[in-house]
Order: sequence, then structure tokens, then C-alpha cells
Amino acid sequence: MHKLLAQQLVKATDEAGWVDLDKLCGLVVAAYEDIDRDRRRTDRSMSLMIEELDAVQRNLEHTVVVRTKELRAREAELQAQNLRFDAAISHMSQGLVMFDGDARLVICNQRFIAMYRLEAENIKPGDSLRHVIDRRIANGTFSGDPEHFIGNISVTIKAGQQITQFVELDDGRTIAVVRRPMPGGGWVATHEDVTERRLAEIKIAHMARHDALTDLPNRLLLRERLNEALAQVERGQRLAVLYLDLDQFKNVNDSLGHPTGDELLRAVAQRLRGCVKDTDTISRVGGDEFFIIQTGINNATDAEHLARRIVEALRAPYELHGHLVMIDASIGIALAPTDGSDANELLKNADMALYGAKADGRGVYRFFEAHMDARMKERRALELALRRAFDNNEFELYYQPMLNLGKGDIRCCEALLRWHHPERGMVSPVEFIPIAEEIGLIVALGERVIRWACQEAAQWPSDICVAVNLSPTQLASKNLLPTVLGALAASRLPPQRLELEITEAVLMQNSEVTLHTLHQLRSLGIRISMDDFGTGYSSLSYLRSFPFDKIKIDRCFIKGLGDNSESDAIVQAVAGLADSLGMTTTAEGVETREQLDLVRSLGCTDVQGFFYSPPVPASELAKVFAEQPGAKVAAA
Amino acid sequence: MRVQHIVWNDRSGWSVAKAEPRASSLVLYFGGREALASGARYEELRAMFPAAHILGCSTGGQINNDDVSDDEIVAAALSFDATRLQLCREDITDSHQSRSCGEAIGRALRSDDLAGVFVLSDGLNVNGSELVAGLSGVIGADIPLTGGLAGDGAAFKETLVGADCAPRTRTVAGVGFYGQAIRVGHGCAGGWDLFGPRRQVTRSVGNVLFELDGEPALDLYERYLGPDESKGLPSSALLFPIQVYDVQCPDSAVVRTVLAIDRGTRSMTFAGDVPQGWTAQLMRGNLDRLSAGAADAARQARSGMAAQSPGVRDSDQRLSILVSCIGRRLLMGQRTSEEVEAAGAELGSGALRLGFYSYGEISPHARSGHCELHNQTMTVTTLAEVA
Repeated sequence: MHKLLAQQLVKATDEAGWVDLDKLCGLVVAAYEDIDRDRRRTDRSMSLMIEELDAVQRNLEHTVVVRTKELRAREAELQAQNLRFDAAISHMSQGLVMFDGDARLVICNQRFIAMYRLEAENIKPGDSLRHVIDRRIANGTFSGDPEHFIGNISVTIKAGQQITQFVELDDGRTIAVVRRPMPGGGWVATHEDVTERRLAEIKIAHMARHDALTDLPNRLLLRERLNEALAQVERGQRLAVLYLDLDQFKNVNDSLGHPTGDELLRAVAQRLRGCVKDTDTISRVGGDEFFIIQTGINNATDAEHLARRIVEALRAPYELHGHLVMIDASIGIALAPTDGSDANELLKNADMALYGAKADGRGVYRFFEAHMDARMKERRALELALRRAFDNNEFELYYQPMLNLGKGDIRCCEALLRWHHPERGMVSPVEFIPIAEEIGLIVALGERVIRWACQEAAQWPSDICVAVNLSPTQLASKNLLPTVLGALAASRLPPQRLELEITEAVLMQNSEVTLHTLHQLRSLGIRISMDDFGTGYSSLSYLRSFPFDKIKIDRCFIKGLGDNSESDAIVQAVAGLADSLGMTTTAEGVETREQLDLVRSLGCTDVQGFFYSPPVPASELAKVFAEQPGAKVAAA
Repeated sequence: MRVQHIVWNDRSGWSVAKAEPRASSLVLYFGGREALASGARYEELRAMFPAAHILGCSTGGQINNDDVSDDEIVAAALSFDATRLQLCREDITDSHQSRSCGEAIGRALRSDDLAGVFVLSDGLNVNGSELVAGLSGVIGADIPLTGGLAGDGAAFKETLVGADCAPRTRTVAGVGFYGQAIRVGHGCAGGWDLFGPRRQVTRSVGNVLFELDGEPALDLYERYLGPDESKGLPSSALLFPIQVYDVQCPDSAVVRTVLAIDRGTRSMTFAGDVPQGWTAQLMRGNLDRLSAGAADAARQARSGMAAQSPGVRDSDQRLSILVSCIGRRLLMGQRTSEEVEAAGAELGSGALRLGFYSYGEISPHARSGHCELHNQTMTVTTLAEVA
């Protein structure tokens, strides 16, 4: 009997043992209903579950389709990315190489292979770093200890450091290697051939410390070298700083042009190199200025010897672009530790010594002396005063007559500039003209002189000319011609009554421009004379370069007349030559009767000097004109 | 320990207590709500056992050895030789107080020699998970905590618990067993089969489940129950319990049974928490496997008892309290007694087996050992004393 039916029977049986059939049936029916309900529930839940699982499966299938599609798309994108990545890597200008955490090659590009002259078939992903290095050792693109190299990489990669190294290859190339750690213990390195850049950097570093024109050290390197040398001075050594400046270099530039000037500077640099020891430093610090650091000297005499050698070496003529150029150098010398123990002080003192040398004439050297400082200050004061004087017009023109030896009459008066300093009184032109030239005042001052002289000469008797000195700077100025024309027009002085005196120095810088200007002036009727003849070089040849109207023979020859037969001969030769070229000759600085007689006998046509008249203010000229000077001359 | 088995029915009243009723220190009783509601039965027990703590609750059916009945009240009067008892009762007005209620009971019962706690709780107004968490948090996870939530047949209207008082609603009570002599064996098993797809708890608050996979939970149940059985909600939902678990922690799997539904919000209230984000899967029962589950629970209790107290012989007096889920009874119908018999076969002849069909079972988890609220399980608690 079924267990349940047995239970139902028990439940349907009363205490007396009677079975209540109704109750039994009720229990049995309820059990059937239970079973039916359970079956229906089971059916229902099973079919629902199947539906749900089916839906889940469809959903999953759909998801699989979508995911597969996404994966394919991603795969395609990855492939495209890989292609782009490959293209990017193979077109990199740098070599690229990647190693994994076991130091095995992951990838390297063509540039890397080419850079180290490797063979693509010998370098494969999975190769060890050691293998790659061995290939490089074999072809000579690796030097050093491979184990040490590998150990170093391992340490830096483990430390997570990015390393940049510059590797010099035996063939002269420089390779910049940047090695960056990657997650997982590997690294990626870029290799770039930076040979050109390194050379350029070296060149730039050189340029930063050298003068482009002469390739000499510039001021920056000069200071470094001087500081280094001064460190030795602290240990008991001595050194000299020589400050050198070319005399009249500007004239070379102005008359022959900058290319020639530059050539001259290069030649000077070359000659300087020949004068010093290897351990000395020559520096060009701008324009025509050079410093020389002479190290390891015993005493001042060593520096003096070098200065003398330099002056001599630079004095020899230069053949530049078809011109023969001569130039002198002035040198100031400061000694360490005597004249200073720091760079600034030494350079300043050498500058002052140079100034002293220039003041003492050209082509000389001077040692620094304590009083130079005072002189420098005085000169600065004078510069300021001169500028003020120009503004306040503290100048006046004096005139010195020139007489014709034949008729004894005054032919011409030379205009001479005087400065009345409010405190110092009369200042000599010898003192202030060079300063005016240096501070660039000479052209303006010269123009003022031309205008004044023309205006005053216009008041004189019509047969008397006025002579005005032109400085080389003035002659080089483009303003000269307009200024002269303006002065003549304003004063209504006929051009024939204006005489312009130029020195040999002008012709020494025999530029086309200068000659052209002179010709233009002469074609206007203005007379051109050569002043101070005999003080320069190759004097006679200059006479043929331009048709001068007059030659003024320098006073040094006149002073030597009589007791020096050489002077007599020169004066006579010049006078003769001038005569044959149709020029007159004026003897300058005639102070005595004897000199007057001699110059006359030697063939000079005119004289100028204290014997007849010192320079006088314009206001006194009328008196001079009235004194009949011809009698005095004729009486001789 | 001595155990007296007494029964009440409306024809005969209480069967007579045979010996030393005054020596009994604890009376446990279980009966239908209607039979207990008047309080008369409690008063009768009180009269019979004036010195005992009297603890009982309403049920979804009583277990009386191999029988399952609705019209009896089953009771056991226990006399202990060396075991002290303490009873604690807490009233609860709102299910949000469940944890604090558990903690209060735990604090009252806590003691160094506490050996086990048996709890009976209101079955409708308490969040059983919170109650157990609160209680076990105070007394410690190593003290066996067993018991159940009172039932109300398939009506889900009102549940009663009485602890030294007439049974009433919104009451939670626990009895603590103290000393070295008491032994507590326990077992817990379900026997339900998972079926259908795994679903995500997409919206829930505490023990109120709103959505599974974005679909109202009630819709799913109504679909599975069909129009006829849907009328029987919420009790018919017990035919399809759900297992919920945290995918990160598969040992957390617990079975949840429905206490109430809300057709307005399409939500369902369960006897324990259904955490949002956990995975849920429907379950269905089959007579044979549910019976096998009950046997498994009994085996656990018996072997647990044997392991901790080699001195206890099967022939010694002992009481096994079987708390099984109302859902199981609803599914098994007339054949419910088969699971009770199956459990009885495992427990042996020496033990009196009493118990009830509940709205939630409390027992340590068979695998994790953590005390938890269970649903749709058979739990077995066996009490014995060693000399």
C-alpha cells in the first residue's frame, strides 16, 4: 500500500476502528488535487523556464554576434593601428629598439639596423641584447665592455630611470641614445645620429667665445683666460696685459673700404700670433683693439720685449687688395700683480696705459703708471669742455699771412682755429683737434671754420686768398662739397680765393672718392695745396697723384736748413720738382732772415712764419695788410 | 535532562504531565494562532508548571514526532540537572528595530557560561536577518543560536509569541542555556532545486525586493504561479523561494521566502535581506529531495551532538526541536509528514521530536557556521545534558 494511502487510512479510521469513507475520499481527492496542482505548476514553470532560458540563449547568441562583430572591428582597427605604427616606426628618423623584461629584442626599426650597419636577417625579435651587441662588436660599431654595458642598463631600468647618453662611435659619429623603462621591466630606446648637431654645438660654443673675423678669442674668452691666469698669479706667477690699438685704422676703413680694413685686421691678427707664445692669449675685443695676455713673465722687461716685437711686426707694410698699407700700433701695458690683481682693474689700467701711449705719439708702447689715471680724468674733462665750447662757440679764427718772395706781397692767409677756454685760457689746437676727431666733432667744427673763413676773407682785398685746413675725416665726409659751395655762396667769395690744405695722410688713403672730391673742388676753381709736405712717406709719388696748386714744405725742413745739408737738398729738390709740375712752394715756419734767404735761394716761391707775422685775430689783419709787408720781404 | 511530552487538543484538553511538574524548568509549546490567541492555553500550562519558563509561538502547523497537525498544541516540559536558564522577552513595534531588539536580547543573555540560545520571534513584523545579526553580534558567533519566526498557517496575518506570558504579537523572546552540562546540536538544510536563469537584484531596500533584471519581482512570480495560484499570494510565492548570493562570495547563498507582497509597488517583502546587486535564482521543490534535505539537517544535528559530547548516548533523554518552513509544507501538502519522518529516522528513537512550521528558521549556516536567518529549510536543534 502506498505510504500516503496508509496515512490517509489511519486518519480516516476512528478510535473504534471504523473507516470513515467520506473522510478517506476527501483525503484521497485532496491528494490527487495536490498532485494535479503540482503537475500543472511544474509544467508551467518548466515551460516558462524553457522560454526564459531560450530568451537568455537568444540574448546570449545576439550578444555573441555583437561582441564578435565588435571584436572583428577592433581587430581590424588594431591591424590598421599596427600598420600605422609600423609605418611610423620604419619612417622615423631615429633608430628605435625595444627590449622586453628578459632583455630580449621585441622590435627594432630599419633605421636602427642601418645606423649600426647590422644585417636585418641577423637581428630578429627574441634575440638577446648580448646577441645584438655581439653583432655590433663584430662590425665595429660598439666599443667597451659588453657585460658592463648590459649591467648598467639593467640597473637603470630597474631603478625606473630614463637615461640619455651620447655615444661616440669609432667612425666619428655621435649617437644620442634615450632609454626609457617600460612597464614589465623592458625598455624602449631611441638612437639619433647627432653628429651634425654636436659639431654645430661645438661651432656655436666656439663662436660664442671667438671673434668671427680673426678667430681670435673674444672679450668673453679673454675674461675667462685672464681669470684663469690670475689664479696662477695668486700662486706667485706674473703676467702682463697688453692693450693694442691700430693708429689711424679708421682712415684705412674710410678710404679703402671695409673689406680691406677687415683684411688688415686679419693680417694683424696673424702677425700677432707670430709674436706670442702658445700659452699667451690674443683677443680681439672690437674694431681695431686687441688684448694680449702674456703669462709666465719674469719682469716688466719681458712685456716690453713683446710690445716692441709687436710694434715692429705690425709696422711692416701690408699688401691688401692691391694697396700698400702701413699702420702703426700703440700699446698700453699693465702688469699683474703690480698694477692690479683682478681682471677689471688690469684691463682698465692697460686701457689707460694705451691712452698714455697714444698721447705720446703713435707706434709706441707705455706701461701703466699711477698718474695716468689723473691724466685720463683730465682728458675726459677736456672732452666735456670741448663739446660745451662747440655749443657756446668759444672758438676764434686767427690768420697767418703767406708772402710771395717775388713781389713781396701777401698772397694768402691761413685760417687757424683757436679755443678760448673760459678757465684755462687759450687751448692749443694740437691738444684739442685730436680730441675733436675722436669724439666725432671734427666735421662740424671744420664746416664752421670754412664758413667763417669765407665770410671774413670776403672782407679782404680781392687779391688775397684764404687757406683752410681739411682733416682726412672732413675730406671723407659727403658733406664737404655742399658745405664749401654753401660757404662760398653765402659769403660771395669767389672760389679762386679759397685754398684748401690737405696733408699727406689724406693721400695715403688714396681712395677714388677722395680724389674725385678733390677734382670736383678744383674744377670749381678752388685751389688745393699739400700741407706739411715731407712728414709722411713716399712723398714725391703723391705729387703725381693729384695736380696740386701749392706745396707747403714742413717746418722741420726749414728748421734744419743751414746746418743740415740734407734739408737743403730736400727743400731744393721739392721746389724744383714743384716748379717743373707747375706748382708753387711755400716754406713753412720761417722765423729768421737767414731762413728766408735760404728758402728763396733754394727755389721756394712763398714763405709763412713768425719772421713776417705770427697768426693774428681777424681784427688785426687790416693792420697787417696796411703795413706793406712786401718791403720787409723785398729788403731781404 | 528529563523531557515530558504533552499535547493539547480541543476534544481532550491537555494530556496529563506524568511526573514532577514542579521540577520542570522550561516548557516549550507550539500551536495554531487561533488555539493560542485567547491565552487560556498559556494559563493552563502556567498552572501545570508554576516554576518553569514557558516559551511558545503560533505556527504554520505543529510537528509531533512523525506527525504534522494543525489542530493540536504540542509541548515539551524540560527538567535540567545542571543547566541554568534565563528567559528574555522584548517587544518590537517596527521591523527597523530588529537589530537593536536582537542586541538587547543578546545583552540580557550574555554570560561567560552561555552555551546556547533558542529564539522565537514574531514572524511578520521583524526583519529576521537583522534580529539574528544583532543577537549573534552580541553573544558571539561561536554560541549556537537557533529558533524560528512564528507562523500563521498560510494566512500571513498575525503571529504570536509568548514568553512567561500569554502569546501576543510583536514579541521576540529567547532562552539562554548556561553551564558545562548542556549540549546543543543543530542542523540546517533545504533540499530545494535551483532552476531557471540567474537574475540580478536590480532594486531592493533591505528585505523588500522591487526588481529582478529590471523587471518588477511580483510580475515574475505572478507569471510563474499562473492566474489561479497568484490569487494565493503571498503564501503561494513560497512554492518558488529564491536563493540569493553575492557572486564575490558564493558561500553567502541563502534561501529567502516571501512574507508579504505590495501590488501597488509590485514589490515583495522577504523574511530576510535581499541585497541589491546580489544574484538571485528561483527554486522549486520536489518531495523526495525536500525530505532528503530534512534528513540531512537531522544528520547534521546528530553528528554535531556526537562530536561535541561523546558522553551522550542515543538512549539518553533528549529533545529535538524541528523548525521547518511553511513553504515546504505548502508544497508537500498531505505528504509533509514524510520530511518529518525522514528527519526522525536520522535522529533515532531516543529523542522526542517536536516543532513547527515557521515563517523563518534560525540556525548556524551548514557551511559557514555563521548564525543566520534561513527560509525554506528544515532546521533541527537537539538539546541534551551530560552528567
